[in-house]
Amino acid sequence: MQTLNYPNVQETLYREVLDNGLEVIVLPKEGFNKTYATFATKYGSVDNRFSVGNEPPVKVPDGIAHFLEHKMFEEPTGDIFAIFASQGASANAFTSFDRTVYLFSATEQINANLETLINFVQNPYFTDANVEKEKGIIEQEINMYRDNADWRVYFGLIDALYHEHPVHIDIAGTVDSIRQIDKETLYRCYETFYHPSNMLLFVVGGVTAEEVFELVRKNQSSKSFKPQGDIKRYFENEPVSVKIPRKVTELPVSLPKCMLGFKEKDANLEGEALLRQEVTTKLMLDALIGSSSKLYQQLYESDLISDSFGHEFNSSTGYAFSVIGGDTPNPDELIKQIRLGVEAVLAAGIEPEAFERSKRKKIGGYLRMLNSPESIAGEFTRYRFRDSNLFDLLYLYESCTLNEVNARLREHFDFEQLAVSIVKQPSA
Amino acid sequence: MTQFERGQLQRIRLHVLPTKRFKTFAISLFAGLTLEEATVTPVALIPFVLRRGTANTPETIAFREKLDDLYGAGFGFDVYKRGDSQIVQFRMDVINDKFVSSNSSLLSESLQFLGDVLTNPLLENGGFNKKYVEAEKITLKKRLDAIVNDKIRYAAERCLEVMCADEPYRLHPLGRKEDIDAITPAALFEHYEQWLDNAALDLYVVGDTTLEEVTGLVTEAFRLKTGSPSPYSKPNIEHKVQEVKKVTERMEVSQGKLNLGLRIGVGYEDEEYPAALMYNGILGGYPHSKLFLNVREKESLAYYAASRLDGHKGLCTIQSGIEFANYERALAIIEEQLESMRQGKLSELELNQTKAMISNHLRELQDSAYEMIAYDFNSVLTGKQRSAQQLLEQVQAVTAEDIVKVADRVQLDTIYFLRDRKEA
Repeated sequence: MQTLNYPNVQETLYREVLDNGLEVIVLPKEGFNKTYATFATKYGSVDNRFSVGNEPPVKVPDGIAHFLEHKMFEEPTGDIFAIFASQGASANAFTSFDRTVYLFSATEQINANLETLINFVQNPYFTDANVEKEKGIIEQEINMYRDNADWRVYFGLIDALYHEHPVHIDIAGTVDSIRQIDKETLYRCYETFYHPSNMLLFVVGGVTAEEVFELVRKNQSSKSFKPQGDIKRYFENEPVSVKIPRKVTELPVSLPKCMLGFKEKDANLEGEALLRQEVTTKLMLDALIGSSSKLYQQLYESDLISDSFGHEFNSSTGYAFSVIGGDTPNPDELIKQIRLGVEAVLAAGIEPEAFERSKRKKIGGYLRMLNSPESIAGEFTRYRFRDSNLFDLLYLYESCTLNEVNARLREHFDFEQLAVSIVKQPSA
Repeated sequence: MTQFERGQLQRIRLHVLPTKRFKTFAISLFAGLTLEEATVTPVALIPFVLRRGTANTPETIAFREKLDDLYGAGFGFDVYKRGDSQIVQFRMDVINDKFVSSNSSLLSESLQFLGDVLTNPLLENGGFNKKYVEAEKITLKKRLDAIVNDKIRYAAERCLEVMCADEPYRLHPLGRKEDIDAITPAALFEHYEQWLDNAALDLYVVGDTTLEEVTGLVTEAFRLKTGSPSPYSKPNIEHKVQEVKKVTERMEVSQGKLNLGLRIGVGYEDEEYPAALMYNGILGGYPHSKLFLNVREKESLAYYAASRLDGHKGLCTIQSGIEFANYERALAIIEEQLESMRQGKLSELELNQTKAMISNHLRELQDSAYEMIAYDFNSVLTGKQRSAQQLLEQVQAVTAEDIVKVADRVQLDTIYFLRDRKEA
C-alpha cells in the first residue's frame, strides 16, 4: 500500500495495485458519515473497435457500452438495486465517452455494500430474454434525450465537429443500433473491458484505508481472472477540418440555442501534457469569455445571451474541442459578436488582471470541489484514465503564466476550425 | 451531531453551524413571503436586479470581478415555492482562508458582499437603476418562456398548475409574464422595501466560525432596519377532490410525459409525516419502488417512473416518460400501484429497504453544508422542531398500518399527459 500526501489540500490518498491488475484508491475523509465508492472501467462509447492481444479487431454496435451498463444490474437472483436498498445504499451508474462507472453511497454496512458493488460488476448475467426486455427501456431513454434541447444542441455540435471519431456517436446509440445488440456481443465487450487490469476502484469518505484494502484483496483473491493481453482501440484517421460548419436541429424551444465549437487541430496529447493543456485552456476561456469578462458583459448587455451562456473544454487523446454558447434570440448576431470579441482579444492579448482573477477563481473552484466525495471520485477517475492526477491540478493552476495562456489563445482560436450547432423552433 | 447556534439581529434570524469539516464557508439567506398574485412577479424580479450591482460596485463587471477576487466565491440565487410561500434564496460559498494566501478574511468579505446585495442596492432617482431593471425584465421573461424547453419539468409544473388552479400554489415562483412590462424602477423599489419589511429572513452560515463572529460581521455588513423577525404562514394542505382532472396537451415531442398529482393531506409538521415519507418511498421514491419495478422493469414501458413527496404542500407527484400509445397501459399500472398501497400490499422487504434508504439519506445530509441548511430550514418554515436523528428514529418506527392510514387519505387529483401533435 502506497501513501500519497497532498499537504496543500490537506488530503491523503492510499493506493495499491492488486495481483490481478485492479487499481484501488482510498481517500479517508475524517468526520464524514458517508462513504462513496466508484468501480470504473476504462470503457466508454468511443471504444467501438478493438482487439485483445493477437486476436483480430471487432466492431460493435453504437451504444453497447451504455447497454452493458444497464444490463450489469441484473443478476440471476434479481435486481441489484434491491440488494443495495436492503443495505441502505443508493446505487447508480453512468456511461461517458471514455468510461463506465458504477457507484454507491451509504452510511452503514459499508463492507457489505463494497462487496455487492465489486461482485455485481464482476458477475455478468445476460440472456436473450433480458437483453430484449432492456431494449424497450433504453428506447425510452433515447426518446427522452431526443426531446432535450440542451442535449441535442451539445451532441449536434460534436457531430458537426467530427467526421470519423466515435465521440460524435450518441452515448446511448440509436433505436436502430441497439436493436442489433445481442448477448454474445455483450459478453465479448464485457470480457474485454471488465478485466480487473482495466478497472479502478475508488473509495472516499468515512473509512479506514487498511480495512478497505483487506476486504478488496480477499474478495479478489477468491476469484480467478485469466491474464489478458493488451487492449488495442482502433480509430479512423480524423480529418483536421470540421464535418459540418453549421448544423440546425428543429425542436420546440422558447429561444434558439446556439453553440460554437472550436476543434483542436492536433489532439494527440497524453498524460501530463494533456492535463496542462486542459488547465491552460480553461483559464484562457474563463478570462476571455467567463461571466466577469468584458466580452460576456457586452454580449449580455446587447441582450444576445442570458444566464445559460457558458463555456467548456473537452479533451482526450484523439479529440479536443472548446464549446461556447447558450440561449440567444439571434444566433447569427451572437456568432458575429463572439468572433469580433475573440479577434479583439487575439490582437491585444488577455489582460493581466483578468488572468489573475480567473486563476483565483479556478483555484477556489478546485478547492470547493474537494468538499464533495462524489466530485473527488468522479474527477480522480476521469484523470487517472488519461494517465494524469487530479491532485496535480492545484499546482498546475498556480504555476500557469499569462504568456502560456496567451500562446494557447492564439493556438486554439482558428475560425477555420469553427462549427456551429443551433436548435430552433420548427419553421411553420 | 453538531447543532446550529441561533441568534437574532433586528429582522434577521441567524443560524450558525461551527464545523471544521469543510474547506469552505457556506452561506444562505432565505427571504420568504406569502405567495400572492399581486406580488409574485415583482418579488421574483428583485433578486435579478440586485445581482446586477450595488451602491459599492455599481457596474456589473466590477460586481462579478469582486466575486472572482474572493477566490471565485460562488454566488447565486433561486426563487421557489415552499408551502404557500415564495422564497428567494441567496447562496454564497467561499473557501476557508487557510487554504490560500489571502490578506483578508474571506468570510467577512463575503458577508459584506451579501449585505451589500441585499441592503445596499444601486439606486437612482428614488428607484432602482433603470438600465438594470429593463434588462432583467427581459431576463425574467426569457426564464418564464424557457420553462417549456425542459419537457420533464414543464410537464411537472403544468400538472401542479392544473391541480392547484384555485390556490395561490398555481402561481409560478418566477411570476406572471403578463405582469412584467408594467413594473417601473420606482415601483420595484417600493416592492423591495415592503419585501424587506415583511419577508421572513433567515441567514445561515456553516463553516469554521462562531455565532459571535457571524453576528459581528452581519452587524457591520447589513444595513438593517429595526424590527423583529417575521414567521412563515401556515400553508393550506386540506383539499377535497370533487372530480379527477384530466388534461392532455400536445406539442412536438418524441416521448409522452405522464404526470399524476395526488393530495396526501399530510404536512411536514404532522405526526404522520414519517409515514408519508415511507408511502412515497415505497410507491416511487427509489429504484426498488413499486413504480420503477412495475412500469419500467416488468413492462419496459419507461426509462423513468418515480414519485416525489412535497411535505410543505401535502402533495405527492408521479412522473414518467412513455410511448404515446402506451398511455392507457401505463396509467392502469400506475393506478394499480396506488390501489395496492391502499390495500396494504406492503412486503416486509419493501418496508425494510425503504427505511434503509430514507435513513441513509438522513445520515448523508450531514456531509453537505447546504443539505444541512436545507433540512434545518424546514423547521423554520413549519415551526416543527425535528432533528434528522429524530426523524430517522420515527421513520424506523413506521408500521405497515401507519402507511395504509396515509394511503387512505391519498386522493388522486390530476392526470396530465403531454403528447405529440398528431391526432390519433
